[in-house]
Amino acid sequence: MELRLDPDLQTFRTEVRAFIDSVLPADMKERQRRKVANNAAVPDLLEWMRILNAHGRSVPHWPVEFGGCGWTPMQLFIFNEELYKADAPEFDWGGTHMLGPVLYTYGSDYLKDRFLPMIREGATMWAQGFSEPGSGSDLASLRTSAELVGDKYIVNGQKIWTSGAAHADWGFFLVRTDKTVKPQRGISFLIIKMDTPGITVRQIPQINGEAHLCEVFLDNVEVPADQLIGEPGMGWTYAKFLLEHERTTSSFIYWSKRELARAKDIALGESVGGRRVADDPAFRARFAKAEADLLALEWSVLRVLAHEELDEPEAAAASVLKIRGSELQQEITMLQVDAMGAKSLRFFDAAPVPPPAPTDVWPDYAPGRTTVALINRAATIYGGSKQIQKNILARLAFGL
Amino acid sequence: MDFAKSDIQAMLLDSADRLLSENADVEYWRHQRSSALGFDEARWAQFAELGWLALPVPEAAGGLDGTMEDIALLNIALGKALATEPYVSTVVLADHVFKQAADEARALELLGEIAGGTLRVALAHQENGAHPLDVEVTGTQARPSGDGYILSGAKIMALDAPGAGQLIVSARIEGEEGIGLFLVPADASGLSARSYALIDGTRASDIVLADVKLPSAALLIGGNRGSAVLREAIDRASIALMAQAVGAMEAANKICGAYVQERKQFGAAIGSFQAIQHIMADNFVAAHQARSMLYHALANADQDEARRSAALSAARLVVGEAGQTVSRNGIQVHGGYGLTDEYAIGHYFRRLMCIEKQYGDLIQHGERFGNSIFG
Repeated sequence: MELRLDPDLQTFRTEVRAFIDSVLPADMKERQRRKVANNAAVPDLLEWMRILNAHGRSVPHWPVEFGGCGWTPMQLFIFNEELYKADAPEFDWGGTHMLGPVLYTYGSDYLKDRFLPMIREGATMWAQGFSEPGSGSDLASLRTSAELVGDKYIVNGQKIWTSGAAHADWGFFLVRTDKTVKPQRGISFLIIKMDTPGITVRQIPQINGEAHLCEVFLDNVEVPADQLIGEPGMGWTYAKFLLEHERTTSSFIYWSKRELARAKDIALGESVGGRRVADDPAFRARFAKAEADLLALEWSVLRVLAHEELDEPEAAAASVLKIRGSELQQEITMLQVDAMGAKSLRFFDAAPVPPPAPTDVWPDYAPGRTTVALINRAATIYGGSKQIQKNILARLAFGL
Repeated sequence: MDFAKSDIQAMLLDSADRLLSENADVEYWRHQRSSALGFDEARWAQFAELGWLALPVPEAAGGLDGTMEDIALLNIALGKALATEPYVSTVVLADHVFKQAADEARALELLGEIAGGTLRVALAHQENGAHPLDVEVTGTQARPSGDGYILSGAKIMALDAPGAGQLIVSARIEGEEGIGLFLVPADASGLSARSYALIDGTRASDIVLADVKLPSAALLIGGNRGSAVLREAIDRASIALMAQAVGAMEAANKICGAYVQERKQFGAAIGSFQAIQHIMADNFVAAHQARSMLYHALANADQDEARRSAALSAARLVVGEAGQTVSRNGIQVHGGYGLTDEYAIGHYFRRLMCIEKQYGDLIQHGERFGNSIFG
């Protein structure tokens, strides 16, 4: 064990920082920095993918043969960290980090040839159709059915919490293709075009004024059978692979580092009774704990990336990352909100870009903080709720 | 950066496993607690034979020239076994001071004695009411006198002092900046010690220095260098203690994991209840984060003082709170048995509480880390 950082990585960091600085358009960066909404606007997101792709860096984590950069885990970590620090638009995670790895691992050559370039080039937005109204934490109970008729699947059912479905061109869905076997064995992984007749999308108004989450109704939707990934009945295995493949993504480490820096700016910018919020001992102690906890999370991510040998299965560490990552996202957004006191209660509409021009009273850090903090209660719910993660941990770490 | 253990580290852990695991139980701990020094001097001699006492010693002095990572790994093993030997005081803290001492020949001699197991050393620095992280403030005075110094003052809670032959005493030298670090024999004339046990069975002393006469050679390091070296030494002691805390937490978790599978209520193992499972999950998360922060402190151990102390205090914050979580939850899942001296978890609870408060507590480290962020 030797824990000092490799000095070569500093050179790499300098290189990617300069690269991002040279290709990220200033207006896009500014829109991203000042956005009120939790999610980036679709046009910027896709345009940024196209820019990165032009330099061969839109899917750096993929195998080289599909367009990846062949970087080490530490190099990928640094690249991601620098993207966030620079206020670049996020990846379309559904395509680049979820579907992509499933496709190149299990997909037919036809599916790989057809969809991997679309994802890599930023040609499409992707929606993930997993949860259903009756199947949240108990995902394996899902009921949306796909019946094979000739060379098509006929899909009927309902999905919910489908992020960005209203703007998605394509979706990847978990559907039930066999009702006669154990629930997990009857699930398949199907790619569906979102403008196929029979699909209705309803945007769900959220507590933060956005409507990013959607319901998707599927009514006799006809899907070519060759859009089923891998083998029928293996969808559950692929979905688990997908969730485990990007173990460190759920930590949101890069996002949280950037947002903690913003929380610091707010605490230095806001004053109460002539004293900076940053100088309030109670606030400072809470901030210090959050920053220390974030450092711990960062090292936990590095340990997973390096596949550190542990007594417990590696998946246990992945649950740690999800639990702590989601808790810290919430704590950091609440630090931002609490640093603004009652001023944080002003409602800012997420839609207008750019938001209202900054003033002395309402600096440009103000719009958006509460919008994000409100919807961030989702962090401990999606992708396996905190309670589900604790069930998993108790089993993996202690055999309970 | 490499998380894998080197061959030397693997050997070190292997030897630790063999020596310590046979005596990592309540019976052994209770027996040691009632002994004169709180630990077994025969086992200390075995530490020497295995080279553990020579770990940070330079090769030139017959040592192993080990890294801070090596020391941390060994201390994880010591923490798992709740070893009460004065390893941190003597091998981590005193070695570091000696390695910086002005008189190199004398330093090598002292390091050699420590490596051989014949010399144990304790730090007598803390004074009543003084801030443990503000080493510059000391009421102890060193008056130059003839060809030496006369020390007077009062120290409290000098950890491991009852079993030490020599003390490192901090004092302000009259007419000089900073503080001086003096090597004082434990039986020096004018030095009186009142010794007691801590709740984890280790020992400490309150020490009064009443005109203790010392030769000039007793001054190991003087002036501003003295303060800097003392801060470094205390930070290293903190890292070793955190490693022990990590070992203790991981061991406590294993003990609790086994207990909740064995203990039955309502006709079922209590570990089958989700309320207990989630407590165990919380404990796993806490210990995992603690180990991560030990790594953070290690990675920054040789950085400049500002970065080093910020990283260390951040780590102490996470490790200290994790220790509370693991040990308090550990007692909770044991029910009434957790409160008895006959179950291991109560021993881990007391050890973790001691580590949390030594060389700066949660409030002090939180404050120091907060100041590093906001200035």
